[in-house]
Formats: sequence, C-alpha cells, structure tokens
Amino acid sequence: MKKEDKGVSYLVVSVLSLLIFLFLWESLCRMGFIEPLFLPAPTKILARAVKMIENGQLIQHTLASTRRVMVGFMVSSLVAIPFGIFLGSSRFFMAVFDPLISLLRPLPSMSWIPLSLLWLGISETQKYSIVFMGSFAPSLLYIIEATKSIDPLLIRAARNLGASKLDVMREVILPGALPQIIAGLKVMLGIAWTCIISAELVAAREGLGFMIMNGKEYFQTDTVLLGMVMISITVMVIDIVFRKFERSLLPWTR
Amino acid sequence: MDAIGKHNKISALGVTKTFSGKRGEVIALKDLSLDVQEGEFLVIVGASGCGKTTLLNLMAGFDTPTDGQILLDGKPVTGITPECGMIFQQYALFPWKTVQDNVEFGLKMKRMPKAERKERAAKYIDIVSLKGFEKSYPHHLSGGMKQRVSIARSLANDPAVLLLDEPFAALDAMTRQVLQEQLVRIYEKHRKTIVFITHSIDEALLLSSRIVVMTARPGRIAQDIVNDLPHPRNADVQLSDRYIELKRTIWNSVQTEVLKSMEVETS
Repeated sequence: MKKEDKGVSYLVVSVLSLLIFLFLWESLCRMGFIEPLFLPAPTKILARAVKMIENGQLIQHTLASTRRVMVGFMVSSLVAIPFGIFLGSSRFFMAVFDPLISLLRPLPSMSWIPLSLLWLGISETQKYSIVFMGSFAPSLLYIIEATKSIDPLLIRAARNLGASKLDVMREVILPGALPQIIAGLKVMLGIAWTCIISAELVAAREGLGFMIMNGKEYFQTDTVLLGMVMISITVMVIDIVFRKFERSLLPWTR
Repeated sequence: MDAIGKHNKISALGVTKTFSGKRGEVIALKDLSLDVQEGEFLVIVGASGCGKTTLLNLMAGFDTPTDGQILLDGKPVTGITPECGMIFQQYALFPWKTVQDNVEFGLKMKRMPKAERKERAAKYIDIVSLKGFEKSYPHHLSGGMKQRVSIARSLANDPAVLLLDEPFAALDAMTRQVLQEQLVRIYEKHRKTIVFITHSIDEALLLSSRIVVMTARPGRIAQDIVNDLPHPRNADVQLSDRYIELKRTIWNSVQTEVLKSMEVETS
C-alpha cells in the first residue's frame, strides 16, 4: 500500500517535470528568445502533428519505419538465435565463423548503405537489409555469450538423462539462455531503429527518417522535431509491448 | 545365470585418471579396481579430493579413464550413458521446467508418448511424496524438495545404476534424515544398484550394504567393508556395539588418509 503511494507520487513528480520543461520551452519561444526556424515551440509541433494526422502522412511515415524495423529485426533474430546457439555449443564452428563475425561486427549499418543501394536500389528490401546488417552481428554475439552462460551441470544432467546434442540445444541451451537472449534483443531493437532512420535519411520515399530529412529541405523545423518525437514515442511503445511479451515467454522467472 | 548379488553390475578395472593442471599432472585415481554387484548399495567414503567424484564421473561416462576400463554389465562404458542415472549435489534441475516436466525429461528424450510419460512421472512424483507440486517451478521449492525431484527424475528414467554424488550434503540435518530414510525405502522396494558418495561415516553406515573407504590422492581403495547392520537402522542400531565398532574402523582409516592429505598439502 505504502509502496504504491510512493510510486504514484514519483509519477506525479515525473509528469510535473515534463510539464515544467515544456512550459519553459514554450515561454522562451513566445518571448522571442529562440528563433522558430532553429527550434519551434511545442505548440507549433503539436499543430503540425494535428495537420499531418489529418492528411494521414504521420501515420503513414510511422508505420513505414515500424514495419521496416520489425521485418529486418525479426529476420535477423530468427537467423541469429539458432545460429548463435549452434556456434555457442560448437567450438569447431565457432573457430570457422569467428574471423567473419569479427570483421562484420565493427561495421556500422551506415557503411552498408552505399552497397545496399547499389545491389538493391531504393527498395523496401534495401531497408530491411540495412536493419539486418546493422543488428545481425551484434545479436549473434549476444546470443553466443548467452549460450556460454548456461551452467554446464545442466547440460551434463540432460545428457545423462539421454538427451542427444541436438536435444541439449533445444531443451537446455535455448530455454536456459532465453532470458539473456531477450535482454540482448531489447538492446538490439534500439539499434535497429537507428539503422532504419539513417537508411531513410539517406534514401527513401517514406518513413520517419525521410520525413525529418524532407522537413529540413523545406525549412519546416516543426516537421523535423515532430519526426524526432515520433521516433521516441514509437520506440517507447514497442518497448512496452516487448516487455509484456517477455513475461509470457519466461513464466519461470516470475 | 549368476545368483542375485553375485553378478557384477558395474566395475572399474585398473582405472587410472590423471588431469593436467597448471602445476603439472595430477593423478586423481591410480590403478583402482572395484566391482559393484547387482542390487548392492555401495557407499564410497573418503576425504575431499580423494577422487571419489572422479570415479563417479567415469562411471557415468562424463569422462574417460586415462588407463583401464569401466564395465557396465561386462561391456566397456565409452560415452555418457542414461543407464547410469546421476544425482548431483546441486540438484541440476531445469529452472524453466515445472516439477512434472523435469521428471518427464528423460522419458521425453526417449520419445515416449505424452500420456504415458505423464502417468509415469506422476508415479515417481508420488514415490518422493511431492504430489501437489507438479506445476511448481524449482525456485519455489526447498533444497530437500529439489533433491527429491532430482531423484524422481532419475528413477523415472529407469537406469540400471543410480549414482549419487554427495546428494544430501547441502541439506540441513533434519531434511537429510528424511531423505536418507526415503532413499532406503526406495532402495528396498526397487533394488537398484546404487553407488553413493559421501564424507559422512554415519550416512555411510545408515544407508549402505557395503562401504568402500578411499585413500587420499592418488585415489585407491583403502578398505572394503560389508555393512551387516540390521534393518531398519534406527536409534537402537546406531547405539549398538557393532555400529560403534564399524564406525571406529572406518574413522581410523579415514583419519589416516585425512592426515596424509594434509601433509601433502602443506609440504
């Protein structure tokens, strides 16, 4: 009871802090301290949001980016999870793939943009591939690490009960590493967003990155800021959804 | 056919095991030979570091001897075998599986149909008196309950030999006594061949039909005693002259070994 009261009062503090921040920003703009071209007032951004919701553009751009992140991220995770578990449990194949992974890992997703444009053009596949290239190698490393954190005693016990090596991967390593894999993927989801925004900033016809770049071209700083705010909100919403999903995947941690 | 109790279930034949460590080679076991007969409850007693766990790991096939052989029913053990069910001191339950699913694990690996495996698991959960906890996850259970799940999990898999590596060492005295009694009842009912490791002489005397005392590094057999104490081994038996005599004999040889191993460590 008391703990809950405290939680509520902290929430009040957070809301107040946000309101004060917005109020200061708004007043500084209205009093003419800040040039609207450099930083428009919050109400201006809100007005732009209303306009863009009415003509459907805001939803269109947000959905386009979200879809790209989700597709690229899902494909990358679906490949990285089994592959990572396999590499984490086989020293030989780890040695085979280690040099390649070490070469790919330091490459920022941005560096793939020219090649991907050359290979795939300004297409949706190109966007997915950027998200994939940006998140695959780091995801793989998270998963390999998670695999190595499994208590070897559990693997021993499973083998002693008649599990084959493949059974061990499916029945012991995957569920045992899952909490860590999910924690890693949560971080990767954030990285996937930075990938898609950079890809859209460079070459795209829709998406939040395109919206920001396009806003800049027409000196609509409010559109630029609205795009940035939308990225924050979307990532926050996805994070909440992800957390719900995580709980139902890991019933034993409750 | 051999008469019951005369058939060698699992044997170590001139087994030597060395490990290469940072400070050179360590001889854990040296030319050790031991026959465990079918239906025997063998308890191995020894000071820590005498290689008793190494011997058990070799029997389970987790490791292979540097020299010599482990024979199960006369055939050499070459890899991990579910025929030798291991029960670990740290329980080794799968935290993401419920009690039911943990007990079913070995059966699932045998691809037994779901309905059959459920029925079988229920039987063994009942044997270790954990009815009503089928849907609990291990972290909701006490240490004693976890070890009972682990015993049920092994029994459900119906191994030829049960290997127990100091299974009750991490439990409090009361729980330990309850589990010891439960294990004796299971042994009397199912007559499995059991190899049990402990450093408690009382535990050895209470449980075993035969006791082997191991020497300190390199591990060899110092003493091999048939435990002829009458069953049930209640308080009266534990105060009998025979009990005290056996305990003294074992203690004398364990003590020598402990002192020897201390000398090795300090020299």
